[in-house]
Amino acid sequence: MPDPANKSEILGALKSAMPFQMVPDNLMQEIAAICTQESYESGAKVYDLGAIADDVFIVFSGSVEHILSAETEASEHKKIMRSGDVFGWAAVLDGQNVRMASTLSIEPTQVLRINGKKLIKLFESDPAVGDVVMTRFATLINKEFYVPRSIADQVPGFKQALNASNLQGSEVTTMALTVYRISTWLKSPRPYLMLIGFALFLGFWMLSVEIWKLPRFVDMPGPTEVFTEWFSEDPYYGLSIYTPEYYKHIGISLQRIAFAFFLATGLGVPLGLFLGWSKNFREYIFPLFEVFRPIPVLAWVPLAIIMFSGSETPVIFLTFLASFFATTLNTMLGVESIDESYSRAARCLGASRWQTFVHVVIPGAMPYIFTGLQISIGVAWFSLVAGEMVSGQYGLGYVINTAYMMIEYPKIIIGMITLGVVGYITSAMVRMMGDYLMQWRVRELALGDN
Amino acid sequence: MSLSKFSDKLFSKAALRGIFAIFVFVVLWEVGARSEEWFGYRFPFIGLVPPPSDVFVSWGGLIANPSYWQSWYMSFLRVFGGFTAAMIIGIPMGLLMAVNKASYGIIFPSFEVLRPIPPLAWVPASIIFWPTQELSIAFVTFLGAFYTIVINVLGGANSINKQFLQAAQSMGASQWDIFRRIVLPATLPSIVVGSAVGMGITWEVVVAAEMISGGGSSGGGAGGGLGFFIWSSYVGGSYEQIIVGMISIGIAGYISSELLRQLGGFLTPWLKTR
Amino acid sequence: MSAVIDENVGSLADVTDGAISIKDVVKIYDPDGAAVMAVDHCSIEIPAGEICMIVGPSGCGKTTLLNAIAGFHGITSGSIHLDGELLCGPEKPQAEPGSDRIVVFQNGALFPWKTNLDNVAFGPMMAGKQSKEEIYEKARSMMADTGLSGNENNYPGEISSGLRRRVEIVRALMNDPKVLLFDEPYRALDSLTKSVMHEALLEIYYRNKVTIFFITHDLEEAIFLGHRLIIMSSRPCKPKKIVEVDIPHPRDYSVLTSPRFRELMNEAKDVVHEEATKAFEAGEKEG
Repeated sequence: MPDPANKSEILGALKSAMPFQMVPDNLMQEIAAICTQESYESGAKVYDLGAIADDVFIVFSGSVEHILSAETEASEHKKIMRSGDVFGWAAVLDGQNVRMASTLSIEPTQVLRINGKKLIKLFESDPAVGDVVMTRFATLINKEFYVPRSIADQVPGFKQALNASNLQGSEVTTMALTVYRISTWLKSPRPYLMLIGFALFLGFWMLSVEIWKLPRFVDMPGPTEVFTEWFSEDPYYGLSIYTPEYYKHIGISLQRIAFAFFLATGLGVPLGLFLGWSKNFREYIFPLFEVFRPIPVLAWVPLAIIMFSGSETPVIFLTFLASFFATTLNTMLGVESIDESYSRAARCLGASRWQTFVHVVIPGAMPYIFTGLQISIGVAWFSLVAGEMVSGQYGLGYVINTAYMMIEYPKIIIGMITLGVVGYITSAMVRMMGDYLMQWRVRELALGDN
Repeated sequence: MSLSKFSDKLFSKAALRGIFAIFVFVVLWEVGARSEEWFGYRFPFIGLVPPPSDVFVSWGGLIANPSYWQSWYMSFLRVFGGFTAAMIIGIPMGLLMAVNKASYGIIFPSFEVLRPIPPLAWVPASIIFWPTQELSIAFVTFLGAFYTIVINVLGGANSINKQFLQAAQSMGASQWDIFRRIVLPATLPSIVVGSAVGMGITWEVVVAAEMISGGGSSGGGAGGGLGFFIWSSYVGGSYEQIIVGMISIGIAGYISSELLRQLGGFLTPWLKTR
Repeated sequence: MSAVIDENVGSLADVTDGAISIKDVVKIYDPDGAAVMAVDHCSIEIPAGEICMIVGPSGCGKTTLLNAIAGFHGITSGSIHLDGELLCGPEKPQAEPGSDRIVVFQNGALFPWKTNLDNVAFGPMMAGKQSKEEIYEKARSMMADTGLSGNENNYPGEISSGLRRRVEIVRALMNDPKVLLFDEPYRALDSLTKSVMHEALLEIYYRNKVTIFFITHDLEEAIFLGHRLIIMSSRPCKPKKIVEVDIPHPRDYSVLTSPRFRELMNEAKDVVHEEATKAFEAGEKEG
């Protein structure tokens, strides 16, 4: 039994070991209770190949050399384990009674030993956590020991013990991971600082308008006025979250943005790709593009009104224009930023120019394209609001402008806040779409440099 | 660059191709704009636009007109005023947030919440708040560039290679030293890039603000500027001048970006060695 | 590593393809009007199947030579032939890249957006001459042969850099190249991983005899792997000394401490050091 004075050290060592990082405190205490400690001198054998696999080991201090047998078909056999590293995991593999490696300590070392069978039994009381831990063991075995998944996946599953029939192991892990991340975030100072920031801002607003009634702020609506209006069922100026008109304006703005954005993306991305890929094309077309680009989109307003009949088309045209320039430029820069080695490798491997374009240029430019799309949707909102303020009917820009003209000031603020929220959501959607399409990037970034 | 090299560049294949494409475009524009006159059939969209030849003539007339140049002056003033204000407030704020975690935690979330609100949406609120129209335009202009600059400063500071900081510390540098000699120069390239983008946004906002507050609801008497010039040309029916205005702003925007780029090159000479 | 290897494994007698003939090649760059000679009348004959190590200081122009063979740059004069056929020469200053000469790049060029298996299958899939099933079966078995099974559905960003190099080599070998061109591929790896990679490379070589044109500045790596070392002078690049490595194959890491290895090191290192010093003093930037 471990000495109570060392308990916190044991808990610390457990928490630093990868498979146990997400175990809740109560279970962690129980695991700590079944741990034993052991010391090895430099050069001492920890265990031999073929010995009984009873315990899982966590290195507390010092280091050991771990050599896998050839039968495991691991791509690399030797590994040095240091503080926090886990080995001896054969003890938790189903149907594996003997050691698959030999381990030798290479300096004075202290380890924690956890009996495999006892550990598994502990998890039977909390199969959700057990599943997460075992999945992490499997990942550890496959990724850090380079052992094929056929062996790594022999960790016991707790899936039958989980009641919900459609909870796959990976879903539990993702959910558990999210819960873990949120709980860590809550424990850090960050959310509280954020609230302080908001409080300061709102406080200043309220003080200056409502309480101190500073001269400059006389005509401004204060936060109470705005928020009561926004959330009231029968708003004084006719616009709140309860009025259908509110959603009509949001919907119309969104419609316009969607149409302009998709059109701009559909035209801008291919144009940008070709501009980046073909030197000839770029030499002809890019200067023409660059002549138009410095002209602020809003300078087009009168011309747009002249060219296009009606009040709807000019607004969409302006929004489209802004998005289009941003998307095309960023896509082109993206293509130019792709490391030359990739297209060279493709050509070496026998790909034609077109195949290189499809398999290297397009996927390689994707991260830059999506950054460009996030910028693009930002400028789209920018132009849309301007367009709606000047021409067009309905829409959030229109709301703000008419509210100003009709001296319904709280509506202005409501409009602004709504714009902020909707703008943020659309931008986040673009980002999420990018993450979804570029799984490889998400995984690569998550694992850090390798 | 020597004269022979300059003319080499000007008449290089690449430049000639670019000029050719622009030339083709102008020709098509002329044909389309004059379609009603020449063919009796008006092309959609293009047919309603003034042709380049008329625009050119109109521009010739405007060059002699001092109020045209007055518009240039007003717009430039606003752009550089708002932009400088954004730099003066934005760069220190960005640097503060980069080095001080607490201030980042307090300021950044609010900053991020306000950022998606397009600057133009602030125009009415700004007009209500500020006593003069000029200040309200300046405020909105400031906002436009401000966000971009802060984000770029933060990005630049965050990407400072940790090893530079560690090297300085191991050589015994104080916090102030580290700030002045490492953080500041390392963020300069990002500030320069951020400025270039910010400049573009500033022009957009200035033009829009000039059009909206000058020609929009609050009635006439605004302080001019190229945006106002375009709007009043539209209202007054001289459509050629609209296009003159558009091209003028394009040129003005290009000049400001070039100036910034040169300044940036001057401040960050080490980037040129790539 | 595990497999049993036959004794005549180092012999080149049964390799027919992949003889490179570099004759009097000169390459002059012209950045901003200042002519820089990167390669100076370089002539090298590489027999089919040889592991030819090109050793030299940074920036001396070895990569230029590799790029010329691969077809990424042209040459100013001279000629390069592969198995008697012209790659580049007086009428044709730049070769076309092709799957008979595949490059393994310094920082790796596995496509990060494709899984390892898709990367390996890339060449034959682009050629379109075999069915998808055939290609993927071959890909899987080649990966298994090199100890890469289990990593098929991972992305290159998820595996270690040592494994990535191996996947890249397998990707190249899927196309039955005559020549593999290595541009300091192990430069960024730590020495422990390097030693594993060397043994792995030799093992792959014993199974698939191709000509290997390997650029390195690491003398130990060169002697361990190569049949022959060609030590280049600092810029402009020209072969300065040739060292025949007659250590028998198959080689494993015990070779490093053998007396013959030490002798060869001595033979080579003075020349290498002399050229490295010249390059350092000339302020050469890394290529």
